[in-house]
Amino acid sequence: MNKNDLDLYKQFVKTTFKMRYKGSILGFLWVLLKPFFMFLILFMIFSHMSSASAGLTSQQYAVYLLSGLIVYTFFNEGMIWGMGSIMERAQLIVKINFKRDVVVASSLSMALINFSINLLIVLAVALILKINITLIGLAYILFIGLTMFLSLYGISFFTSIWLVHVRDLQHIMELVLQLLFYASAVFFPVEMIPENYRFIVYYNPVARFVKAVREALIFGEITDSKFVLLALLSSLVLIILGKIYFNKHIKKVAEHF
Amino acid sequence: MEDNIAIKVENLTKKFRIPEHGSPTTLQERFVNPFAKKKMIDFVALKDLSFDVKKGEFFSVIGPNGAGKSTLLKLISGIYIPDGGKIDVNGKLVPFLELGVGFNPDLSAKENVYLNGTILGLTEKEINESVDDIFDFAELKEFEDLSIKKFSSGMQVRLAFSIAIRVKSDILVLDEVLAVGDGEFQKKCFAYFDDIVGKKTILFVSHGLDSVRKYSDRVLWLKEDKTYEIGEPNDMVDRYSATF
Repeated sequence: MNKNDLDLYKQFVKTTFKMRYKGSILGFLWVLLKPFFMFLILFMIFSHMSSASAGLTSQQYAVYLLSGLIVYTFFNEGMIWGMGSIMERAQLIVKINFKRDVVVASSLSMALINFSINLLIVLAVALILKINITLIGLAYILFIGLTMFLSLYGISFFTSIWLVHVRDLQHIMELVLQLLFYASAVFFPVEMIPENYRFIVYYNPVARFVKAVREALIFGEITDSKFVLLALLSSLVLIILGKIYFNKHIKKVAEHF
Repeated sequence: MEDNIAIKVENLTKKFRIPEHGSPTTLQERFVNPFAKKKMIDFVALKDLSFDVKKGEFFSVIGPNGAGKSTLLKLISGIYIPDGGKIDVNGKLVPFLELGVGFNPDLSAKENVYLNGTILGLTEKEINESVDDIFDFAELKEFEDLSIKKFSSGMQVRLAFSIAIRVKSDILVLDEVLAVGDGEFQKKCFAYFDDIVGKKTILFVSHGLDSVRKYSDRVLWLKEDKTYEIGEPNDMVDRYSATF
């Protein structure tokens, strides 16, 4: 990455950030308000039932729910924005030759920024609710965040190209992500799912990330580290393969908009 | 490649695959009419084109719509890849296929200078140093905090042009961007062109045949039937003008 690529990346992130909430009265507050109301609704409906069956206090359930929401939101935004990144900059791509990876990286960075802000808020809430946050738990959460970011980066190398050729992917992705929300045990404990369906959660990487973040946050424990390491390794492989695929196909993309 | 050559194009061919007129393109159309065959045809945009542009030369491309002028510029700028033949570019090439690429109407003029300048290849530091000059040249100093959507199209183009000329390059690729703004500003633009002619290599595409005649050293005439001629500007322009 040379100096200009880095500046370009900064400009793209800045612009997207400014544009996303420009013109609305509450502006950036919407980043916080939307998840907050989502949280409030889910908490009111499921708090009693869920905390009983998972053996959590209602304070713990609040943090449990919040952490699930932010991890899922990170994944959701990363998938949608990463996939749409090339399409979104179509006007630019047909006019000028610059390093196209910058577009993917900057779109994903938006998701990472939102995740970081959300995480800070969850930590603040956890402190207020007198949850003992351990340093090692926190480090593990950051490590998981990084792993997820790298996975999203690898995946986006493929999906951003695919979307240009098959626009239906936009709708398919939204549907899949919606299903994933329910399959990731975001607002209910796994124990509530009948035993013969629990494999859905077990084989769902987002659910595993959600669970690991929760346990690190609430109990300060490092769990499922084998899975997280495996995910990190796979994401690195995915980035390498994705980059090769991306470089091969990106030159042709300008003809398909 | 020889040292005095800036752009070398050899046997360049570019085709686009397009669906034949009336053939189904979406799944829905195919479902409704399952026996209609999906046929793709090759649209040949450029065929077996070869030419050199020497360093410091003002090289113009003329021809009717659909002859492949814009395709050629996009190939040389690296936006499309050739299907056959090859292109060598010697030096830093900056394409101006359109002024104000990436301008965002909701951002202020100043923010757009940073955005557009970076897209064109300037670093943040370089823009910091030249941002005042850019607004001075565009004569828009008092509007730098106004959002671009409030600008008239002439003002936008003036700003875009002022940014574009800050980009350091050896080769300029220009697509019909000459002569922007009102009479006063046009004079400034032409003064700038007079200044760089001979210093930079310029590849120029225009329907403005007067400026082709005035500035060019050589002219490439792309024809609809995919043949081409290269020659002296007055001769080329005269014969091209005679075709319509």
